[in-house]
Amino acid sequence: MNNNFFTKLIYGGGVFFDTIKWVALVCVILAIVNTFFFSIFFVDGQSMEPNLHDKEVVFWRKSSVEADRLSRGQIVLVKYPGDPEHKQYVKRVIGLPGETLEIKESKVFINGKVTKQEYIPVYFRTEPDGIWMMKENEYFIMGDNRENSSDSRIFGPVERRFVLGHASAVIFPRFLLVRDM
Amino acid sequence: MFFLVFFGVSFFAFNTVTSFKADTPISQTNIVYTPEYTSNIVINKDGTIIIDGQKMAQKIDLLADSDELRLPVIDKPATDIDLATFIVTLPKANAGEVTHEILGIHGVGEINSFVQDENTIIYQARNVSTYATVSIVAKLPKGTIAPSFSYWILSNIPNLGSIWLVLGLVLPIATFILMMLFILLRLQSQKVQAPKDETDALPMAIPPGVVGVLFHQKVGAREIAATLIDLACRGDILILDRSRGFGFAKNHLDKRLIGYEKILLSKIFKHNLVSDKEEIDRRINAHLYSKKISVLSLGISNLATRLGYFKTNPQTIYLRYKVIGSIVCVLGLAGFFFSLSQYANTSYLAFLWLGMVISTLVVSCMVQKIPVRTSLGQDNYNNWLAFKKYLESDKKIPYSPDNQEIFQRYLPYAIVLECEIKWAKRFSEHNFIMPDWFVSDKEGLGLEDFCLSLFPIVSYVSRSFAAIREPGFR
Repeated sequence: MNNNFFTKLIYGGGVFFDTIKWVALVCVILAIVNTFFFSIFFVDGQSMEPNLHDKEVVFWRKSSVEADRLSRGQIVLVKYPGDPEHKQYVKRVIGLPGETLEIKESKVFINGKVTKQEYIPVYFRTEPDGIWMMKENEYFIMGDNRENSSDSRIFGPVERRFVLGHASAVIFPRFLLVRDM
Repeated sequence: MFFLVFFGVSFFAFNTVTSFKADTPISQTNIVYTPEYTSNIVINKDGTIIIDGQKMAQKIDLLADSDELRLPVIDKPATDIDLATFIVTLPKANAGEVTHEILGIHGVGEINSFVQDENTIIYQARNVSTYATVSIVAKLPKGTIAPSFSYWILSNIPNLGSIWLVLGLVLPIATFILMMLFILLRLQSQKVQAPKDETDALPMAIPPGVVGVLFHQKVGAREIAATLIDLACRGDILILDRSRGFGFAKNHLDKRLIGYEKILLSKIFKHNLVSDKEEIDRRINAHLYSKKISVLSLGISNLATRLGYFKTNPQTIYLRYKVIGSIVCVLGLAGFFFSLSQYANTSYLAFLWLGMVISTLVVSCMVQKIPVRTSLGQDNYNNWLAFKKYLESDKKIPYSPDNQEIFQRYLPYAIVLECEIKWAKRFSEHNFIMPDWFVSDKEGLGLEDFCLSLFPIVSYVSRSFAAIREPGFR
């Protein structure tokens, strides 16, 4: 770096204003995108194995509007209802509002009909048995790693207001669209 | 670019680490757990929470249909707990109407909650491991607590949701409308009567740059271009139009040059007699901003102010607006980011601040349209409008040697009055004689060719110069 470079860089107070202007614009755009539209998160733990691995980076879409309905099978980010300020989980939506979900003999029944769960290996056991009835605006979520996941089976269905958004793609260390999982 | 990318990526990465409002996590309090642990939780009428005599930062959340206590009471305790009991005392005897539940994860045995009496709910968790988190939930019917007005306001700010988004949109639009009204009012108070008659002589022998400031209330590319052509007409410089590029050459040195004209010449010529496009480009690109061009701009507008056309230098007035605008803009940005950090998931409030930022930008852009001329300035402005009317008249000017000279003499004024094309058209029936200050290696140039050669050269140089003026220079 020669002296001329710095002279050129700092010449005139305008450099400051000009730089600040662009930095501010970039920050505002990033903040809006990050707050309302998209962000990334790091998977922490094994509760979504074999689909999401520990330490993977996932790109997710935020759902700013609580009225947005989720669909079955979506991988969602939720705030743990017991400590929404500090704990967030990544789980899969299994039961939708108004439905009755039953777990019996490792099978999941929705409104009395057994559901296909192609995203988990057949040897995964879903326990404990039980019946949950979702109120309006409540979702039943479970981790794919059924034997190692704290989810709605433990703390019950979660209200829509605790759902932050849904995962779109794993971006690191591999790339995979979530819909392909 | 490096800073932008670095800052952007850092910001993005920082924000992806979820940063929610920190209340008082139970793990940070000095609670000593015992195998038979009992805790008394009191909900006060104002919504504050007291755990074993210690007031928590967290308050009852005010929701649309109920007021909610959602509190993690055990988080990774140091020892295993056989039985944890939480006695919640309500501010009103309506425990039967309260929806209560206890949540436990990561190693909690049996959990249950029940109403003990009309004021008390008991939550119990058995066999709590050292990895466990136990939380209690109580949804209180509306009216159970009476929060203070300030807390009610603070709680409801994020709940207003898209109202803030609408306000964020309305604010800049309202600012724009208000600014338009303000400008219209100022224009009415400084009403300019459109001149009925045209004036075929210069209203006053003042430099074209100053006329430009009187007309535009700022120094822009047209004022610089007019000054360049004026210098050429007065014989100080030659404008060279070559097939391999344009250039400027020093002609004879006029000792009556005004200060800002000297500065403009020193920006074009360093020590050389001829400055070609490459040299001018080099000088334009030598600095991100040029102090010389800033001084040149200030010089022209100062002269217009000294002539009494403005009470205060218009650049200074606009700078004041811009400084205040910048401060408000920074405050708006601070509010924007504060809102995002405080209300992480319902941060529509941020749009209100963004609206404020955009409003300041609207003001900064429109401020130059506010008329700030004095009455003397208004009168002179009127006279120059009459002269403009003459310049842009459709009537062809008959040929005479004197008229041929008029074209050149008034050309700089036509440029600042934005009518150079119409002015040139008035001479279309003349046998055009090339001005001696325009040297071209093309032969037989007519008036149209002359304009097509001269205007791009002058426009390029003046626009480049105008763009490198320091923002905020005084």
